[in-house]
Amino acid sequence: MKEYCLKSAIIFMAVFGLLLTTNALAVDKVVLGHPACLSGKFAKAGSQASWGIKACVKWINEVNGGVKIGGKKVPLVYKPYDCESKKEMVTSLIGRLATIEKVHGIIAAYSSGLTLTGAPVAEKYGIPYLSQGGASNRIFQQGFQYAVQVLSPATLYQAGAVDMLRKADPSAKRMALAFEDSEFARMVLRGAEKHAKELGFKIVFNRTYPKHVNDLTPLLSDLKAAKPEIILGGGHFPDGQLFARQMSDLDINVKALSMIVAVTLPAFREALGAKTEGIVGPAQWEFGVKYSPAAAKKVGVPWFGPTNEEFVKLAKEFSGGKTPDYHAAEAGAAPLVFVKAVELANSVEPDKIRAAFNKMDLMTFFGEFKINPDTGLQTRHSMVVVQWQGGKKVIVWPEEAATGKLYYPMPTFAEKAKGKVAVPR
Amino acid sequence: MSSKIARYYPLIPVYAAYLILFLIGRNVTGMWQLMAMLVFYCAIGQAFNIFLGMTGYVDFGYVAFMGIGTYGMALSISHLYQIEGLGMWVILIGAVLAILMSGALSVAVGAVALRLRGAYFAIATIGVNEGFRFLIEGAKIWGGSEGIIFSGQFTHIFGRKTASLISTTWADIFVILVACLGAFVTLRFMLGKIGYALMALREDEDAAKVMGINVTKYKIIAFITSASLVGLVAAFAWGLKLTYLFPDEIFDISYTVECIIIVLLGGAGTLLGPVAGALIYGLSKYWLTIILPGFQLLIFAPIIIVIVVAFPEGVVGVLKRRVRGTVLEKFIV
Repeated sequence: MKEYCLKSAIIFMAVFGLLLTTNALAVDKVVLGHPACLSGKFAKAGSQASWGIKACVKWINEVNGGVKIGGKKVPLVYKPYDCESKKEMVTSLIGRLATIEKVHGIIAAYSSGLTLTGAPVAEKYGIPYLSQGGASNRIFQQGFQYAVQVLSPATLYQAGAVDMLRKADPSAKRMALAFEDSEFARMVLRGAEKHAKELGFKIVFNRTYPKHVNDLTPLLSDLKAAKPEIILGGGHFPDGQLFARQMSDLDINVKALSMIVAVTLPAFREALGAKTEGIVGPAQWEFGVKYSPAAAKKVGVPWFGPTNEEFVKLAKEFSGGKTPDYHAAEAGAAPLVFVKAVELANSVEPDKIRAAFNKMDLMTFFGEFKINPDTGLQTRHSMVVVQWQGGKKVIVWPEEAATGKLYYPMPTFAEKAKGKVAVPR
Repeated sequence: MSSKIARYYPLIPVYAAYLILFLIGRNVTGMWQLMAMLVFYCAIGQAFNIFLGMTGYVDFGYVAFMGIGTYGMALSISHLYQIEGLGMWVILIGAVLAILMSGALSVAVGAVALRLRGAYFAIATIGVNEGFRFLIEGAKIWGGSEGIIFSGQFTHIFGRKTASLISTTWADIFVILVACLGAFVTLRFMLGKIGYALMALREDEDAAKVMGINVTKYKIIAFITSASLVGLVAAFAWGLKLTYLFPDEIFDISYTVECIIIVLLGGAGTLLGPVAGALIYGLSKYWLTIILPGFQLLIFAPIIIVIVVAFPEGVVGVLKRRVRGTVLEKFIV
């Protein structure tokens, strides 16, 4: 009798324990929080990010059927709050998301600064923290354990353009670097300088100009005297536009001009017209980029998520018909890679998700994703390079994503004034 | 003796508010970071009130003292992290640096700008803030536009767990302590000769001068005290808590505007005013963003306008009048 009781007790304990464990493991939804910049100084980029994320969450739930975990599919819930692009709101909202909403992952707010703001709080609660608008490499040099970068880091912004120009013109030597004096642009400059030197370019001019600059003539006059063949530069839209306009005024003609941020915006063409012909610029993503299941197969990595066309269509449902830009795409990629990590981990435990990120090597509509396991820094995503050709933006690099060929060398400003376009034959 | 103690009764509601915030933060799940935000607003409001509330001068460049205070903490951690065994001293050194640097800047600014009055003073102080930011960026001082990111060095000193505890908990507790100190200093000023002098110059500076009050001296005292306190708040709330700084973020003029809103909302020149203003401002902002993310500012702005119209002297200003002659009078100053 005693033995029978003991056996029964053991069986009961085992069954009860199993039930408890199963209960603990049962997940009926996966929640992704986001202190979104829907107002304040990053409202424009933040709204785009919000459309991109909503589009991909919708794709995950409706097309993918949810998140596969523990043998069944559960919905992905997106929980955004407006952080007003302010530090204090970011920390308090992440605190709320972690404790009250009990999210399983957090998409960081836009910008490197706000990504850094939220990182210690996300670390405290041990929640995977996806940087979708924080390009600074320095975020990932601080030893954060749960931070993962989705987009290309700032030091790689001009790397694709440098590679492309080296391939287009192996004899080109003289390169000038002229960037805005901001944290982001200086990081880009540093990466570009290192990479250009590695590829045998000689840096003949290396200067920064202040933010909100109104006149670049003195800097450009010095730059002209250095006789560069290629110029890399930029910072934001106003200075980028000024840079190209005053290059035209001073008749500075080079074989290639690659500028960050401004070149990729339609307003650049609207402001400068034909002067933009042949100018190139890197972008995290561009509509029409040829990342696809076939491209993924070609490079031997799995594909996940909507195609470019599907993404744009879904994003337009949330944007009121506005075309999503790269801010939407880089943010949209965040829930995709997060879901893939949860599925790979088959768990919502932070450490397992973070470990799964380390194993991931996949392609989405935004490009490839692979991180440095120790730091979380993005290593595989490649910037695309666009060129203005006949009034249209054409993706010219990387080759697997390109929609057209590079026009090189760029027409002179005098030729552009006469109507010459940078369309390759 | 009892009358001496009674003079400090107005600190009771202020400290009670901080204690309640602390207890809610500690005991209610998910409230700590909200509490930290509210206390931050209380602390900057309290510090700003010492100058704006007591002198009537509006300093639009006030955030410069917060910025320089943050640099104090950042420089201490990023430069001293390799010294073994320094431990918590690095935070103390950072705090002292923050006070000294913001104090020194306020002396420099005050010596020039406090000779001006009204709109001229306000414009001059905006210039100081922007000029100082451009100086740091242009001359590439302390990392220039790239700022200082010292999360890694901070972790190096304290280890991952302690560093996380300091930046997510202790930094906020230090802000509460500075807020308490701010309230105490405000009351000491109010009760002493300084308070009377400041009140006189706020009402009529020329008359105060004629009566023999050294107005420049008292304005500078209020200015330095206010600047040092807010520098210390920022050293903890931005430096120690966030462990990075970018110049364009820490010299962002919107924080000055927030200080002005908080003080005017609560009641300029009152002790409890900045606390009431900060709680109204912070809580409405927070709850509206939870309920209506993306649309909160549309509702928030009219709420602020309604409060300012309904309480032209600030919430505490009106409350003070209402409780006159009652037992609550000695608690609300």
